[in-house]
Amino acid sequence: MKYKITLLLLSVSLGASNSAAAQDMVFTSWGGTTQDAQKTYWADAFTGETKIAVTQDGPTDYGKIKAMVEAGNVTWDVVDVEGDYAVQAGNAGLLEKLDFSVIDKSKLDPRFVTDYSVGSFYYSFLIGCNKDAVEACPKTWGDLFDTQKFPGKRAFYKWSAPGVVEAALLADGVPADKLYPLDLDRAFKKLDTIKADIVWWDSGAQSQQLLASAEAPFGSFWNGRLTALEETGVSVETSWTNNITAADSLVVPKGSKNKEAAMKFIAAATSGSAQAQFATATGYAPINLDANSLMEPDLRNTLPDMQADTQVNADMNYWAAHRDEIGTRWYAWQAK
Amino acid sequence: MPVTLATDTVKITRERKFGYVVPALLLIVFFFIVPVTMLLLRSVLEPVPGMQNYAALLGSTTYLRVFLNTFLVAGVVTIVSIFVGYPVAWLLAIMPEKWSRIVLAIIILSMWTNLLARTYAWMVLLQRTGVINKTLMALGLIDKPLALVNNLVGVTIGMTYIMLPFVILPLMGVIRSIDPAILRAAALCGAGKLQCFLRVLLPLSLPGIVAGALMVFVMSLGYFVTPALLGGTSNMMLAELVAQFVQSLVNWGMGGAAALVLLVVTLTLYAIQLRYFNPARGK
Repeated sequence: MKYKITLLLLSVSLGASNSAAAQDMVFTSWGGTTQDAQKTYWADAFTGETKIAVTQDGPTDYGKIKAMVEAGNVTWDVVDVEGDYAVQAGNAGLLEKLDFSVIDKSKLDPRFVTDYSVGSFYYSFLIGCNKDAVEACPKTWGDLFDTQKFPGKRAFYKWSAPGVVEAALLADGVPADKLYPLDLDRAFKKLDTIKADIVWWDSGAQSQQLLASAEAPFGSFWNGRLTALEETGVSVETSWTNNITAADSLVVPKGSKNKEAAMKFIAAATSGSAQAQFATATGYAPINLDANSLMEPDLRNTLPDMQADTQVNADMNYWAAHRDEIGTRWYAWQAK
Repeated sequence: MPVTLATDTVKITRERKFGYVVPALLLIVFFFIVPVTMLLLRSVLEPVPGMQNYAALLGSTTYLRVFLNTFLVAGVVTIVSIFVGYPVAWLLAIMPEKWSRIVLAIIILSMWTNLLARTYAWMVLLQRTGVINKTLMALGLIDKPLALVNNLVGVTIGMTYIMLPFVILPLMGVIRSIDPAILRAAALCGAGKLQCFLRVLLPLSLPGIVAGALMVFVMSLGYFVTPALLGGTSNMMLAELVAQFVQSLVNWGMGGAAALVLLVVTLTLYAIQLRYFNPARGK
């Protein structure tokens, strides 16, 4: 009798997971206010139209992607990753080729389109400052690296990724158009000069907490997180001078069991209206060229891609080719 | 005939008893031993078969600094835990049981609280604009905030707090088992309070100190969450290095090598504990 009940339960639960797998797909991103917006404007809208349920998971973890692909047990169908990782992982055979008969790439910003990935959203590292906590706010990367003129802790992104190395070189006087190939020796020498005053943030939420509490009254931040923080009543001053742009990408890990649904999801998430709504909510820029006309012009003008005159584009291909080398050196330098 | 029957029964009971542990053993083999072995194997197989990962790990001053730092943090946390935990254990051992139960409940309750929540709470208390610094500055005791977090101080405070129960509990057991008559005898023979402690109580409670210290040291070696949140990047410990290799650099060969080094050190210390300080043997 006991055995029968167990078997029954087992078959019920197996059946349930099977039928769930047929309809659901999983979207994985970095959590926080950004993933909240991705859920509302991309996933929920997509589910409403297609009846394909989208389960949210996270945070994105490159180790997990590799483990899933190698084990042949991929449970993430669409993942929001950093642009340079997308290029590298595509070349390393960890990703599915995107189906551009489903995803209309003619409207997508071509800078972020590869065989394996399309842009997810587009952001800038810029200088943020808590006006209430200091007498003067740094305006340039040079200011942010000047501990004499601007004493105090400064917040920087902890992980090896486009942004901080470029900021160090710009602060040291390298012209924006001569950044690549990156002079790592020079960058680390410059970073050495402020190392004792750096507080690292490892997530967007932490960066907001550091700035709001004035634990670090200024630093380099993702623009969307500053927008969100300002809305909570913190008086944030931003400087877009030489803001450094990078993009997240949407990818499908190789062996996804819901490939078709994944392609449809990416098509929907990168559509003009989904991108416009997401951009309005987060302050990140859309990667669909049609989104421009769908947004309030006032708001549109505050987004990163409108700061083009003073903007520095991080070179994703350079980063993809040197990601391991820079990463190894970066973490070794941090641990010193 | 009855004799054979008896042995058979014993045999059957033994087999049955073994049967009950099979699920747990299978769980450990399939969900712990097998995957860990696979990760460790990668350290000698990736990117090409050979010992290059170990050469890179042990030949680099950066990684050696991480090793040293791991031992430093574990050592400091162990020493501080003993100094803070000993008086508590002593008090618990001699308190009326009604009270010691309450204190013990508080200590154990803290162990049941979520680790992340406790660590974040320390962050709020210790940061430059945190409660402790603000209070000290308002009282005029300091002019500039003390650096209490993102450094060794923060890691030590946060980890000592988490490790304290692991010192207090074994120590309390050992101190309780010391016959109070011995201390009375020492006092009667003319030993002062300090002498009573240093020459009688301390040596008798040494097995408890060593057991607690080894436990804390070994647990601290592999700690991840607290050092990652309360330490600075220059206080990196081995577990963080492993996570970095596995998650950020996606270099599993190096990650496996670092994990194996940690495992070997930990198992060696555990073997020392079993060999020399096994409480079951000491009795």
